Amino acid sequence: MKSEQAFVAAFSCVDDFLSCLRILKGKGYEIRSVFSPVRLPEIEEILGMGVSKTRLFTLIGGLTGGTALVSLAICAHLSFKLIVYGKPVLAWIPWVVVAFEGTILLASLSSFVSWVFKAGLPRPSTDPGYGPEFSGHKFGIVVAATEERRSEAERIVTEGGAEEIRDVSA
Amino acid sequence: MEPELLVKFKDVDQEILGTLWRPPRFFWFVALLLFLGLIYGLVAWGYLIAVGLGGAGYRPPGVMWGIFISNFVFWIGIAHSGTFISAILYLFRARFRTSINRMSEAMTMICILIAGSYPLIHLGRSWIFYWLIPYPNQRGVWPDFISPLIFDFLAVSTYFTVSFIFWYTGLVPDLAIIRDRTTGLRRRIYGYLALGWTGSAKQWHHYAMSYLLLAGLATALVISVHTVVSWDFALPIQPGWHSTIFPPYFVAGAIHSGLAMVLTLLVPMRRIFRIENIVTTRTLELIAETSIVTGIILGYSYVVEHFMAWYSADIFENQLYMFRLTGYYGWIMRLVVLCAVVAPLCFFIRKFRTDPLWLFVISILINIGMWWERFVIVIQSLSQNFLPYQWGFYWPNWTELAYTLGTFCLFLLAFMLFAKYLPSIPISEVKKEAGIPRRKGGLFHEE
Repeated sequence: MKSEQAFVAAFSCVDDFLSCLRILKGKGYEIRSVFSPVRLPEIEEILGMGVSKTRLFTLIGGLTGGTALVSLAICAHLSFKLIVYGKPVLAWIPWVVVAFEGTILLASLSSFVSWVFKAGLPRPSTDPGYGPEFSGHKFGIVVAATEERRSEAERIVTEGGAEEIRDVSA
Repeated sequence: MEPELLVKFKDVDQEILGTLWRPPRFFWFVALLLFLGLIYGLVAWGYLIAVGLGGAGYRPPGVMWGIFISNFVFWIGIAHSGTFISAILYLFRARFRTSINRMSEAMTMICILIAGSYPLIHLGRSWIFYWLIPYPNQRGVWPDFISPLIFDFLAVSTYFTVSFIFWYTGLVPDLAIIRDRTTGLRRRIYGYLALGWTGSAKQWHHYAMSYLLLAGLATALVISVHTVVSWDFALPIQPGWHSTIFPPYFVAGAIHSGLAMVLTLLVPMRRIFRIENIVTTRTLELIAETSIVTGIILGYSYVVEHFMAWYSADIFENQLYMFRLTGYYGWIMRLVVLCAVVAPLCFFIRKFRTDPLWLFVISILINIGMWWERFVIVIQSLSQNFLPYQWGFYWPNWTELAYTLGTFCLFLLAFMLFAKYLPSIPISEVKKEAGIPRRKGGLFHEE
């Protein structure tokens, strides 16, 4: 098995960074990670990331929350069977409010939990290759390449405008 | 026209984080004064716990909902602008929100916490507030799920939770920035709070989707929470309350007072922390322009309320609204119209909406008007009910005024501490708005 080496290339200009990322991806290099101080939808497009599953978890959370709170209201009112304000024991219309609040509450909680876990957080340490400059004003690409292809990858990023290249352990 | 940021991509961290490192000298002195004010308010609450709500001057059959309830509506109202700015304007891609959304969200959470304390006091026995929570219990008692008071509990607690999640989600990338620029214990604390964020493509991908969804969910809450609060009043058959105009009228009033409070906080803050190049005059101008709209909606609601009372030919409604204009609380209604409706019309003149001093003065006037508006709605309506037997004059006593003062102190103190320890301007969002440098020249902006 050929041993792979990884390195991180840091860029200051966004166009250099995006074009290098596009070339590396096109040539079939393994892009281990990409760091950016701001969200760039172009990165997701180049890396071919699909739609985030967070949407699905939010929907499931919302449906569960609404159903759960209305079920609780039904149980509570059946346990009393009291006529309040002259309304039936199971007064559905006011429970629109209850269902609404339950839906929003659990949808939000599940949306938060899902993005955190899907993003691989929380984690005690940062990703290999990460440096404080990537939360500042630089962009980074962590590329893994075999020994033979490493020089080509390095040449692509250097010619593409990378300001710094450093090895990444592990 | 969107406001132009006067800061470069590279300098954003330094500019915004500067607010964390260098508070002015008088900062801690003011914080101490506010803390003492808060203690005074808590002493008043302690007194009410000891002697009961009679200590606040509540005597049947007169006015039994005093300024504790009008304060509740006032603070919940102010909370609205935070979500309005951060969620609704995000969905509409209004870029001027970028420099002000974080502090508006913080304001929202502080206000909800303060607002929540008022009904707790009003319960009388605050220590058993958890009876409001629907959970299986030994007493076999459940709350009534068709009561507007339970709607209110659910709405306010949901609002706080969602606002907190939305605020914290937006904060995570910025906490990582602080983590990377601090050392020692600070680095560890900010590191834990940042959850290990690195700004990787995977993290941004899921984060962005969730942020968008949370904005959508929070938008629904902006409309719903004050609607539910208005039902506390609109569902009973009390004259002055029982009206279908209440939900839109309350929501417009809430956003109006919230925008005014944003201006009240923002104008001095941008000067104290020297962030005029990030929170530009154009941003303040756009808030002022929005205030004109909400002020006009509010003015229209006042006219419709009085018109409907006359047009309905209901003698109880009619006498109440005549009493509102000419009775012993009449001066308050005139003050409300002057401060909350007429004063924001000054923003039609460019000088008033671009000069920070005028913006500050008018925002204070709007805040005063909106506080008294809630006084009129809650107290004036209760003071002249169906039967003359119930009629009465109410004025808050020292306990209510002390707690009100305490909560204003808590609001300012919490906001100051927030500005000291957390970035009050979203760094990563401002960076994007500042434009990312390109090799070919020019700046990269997302379309």
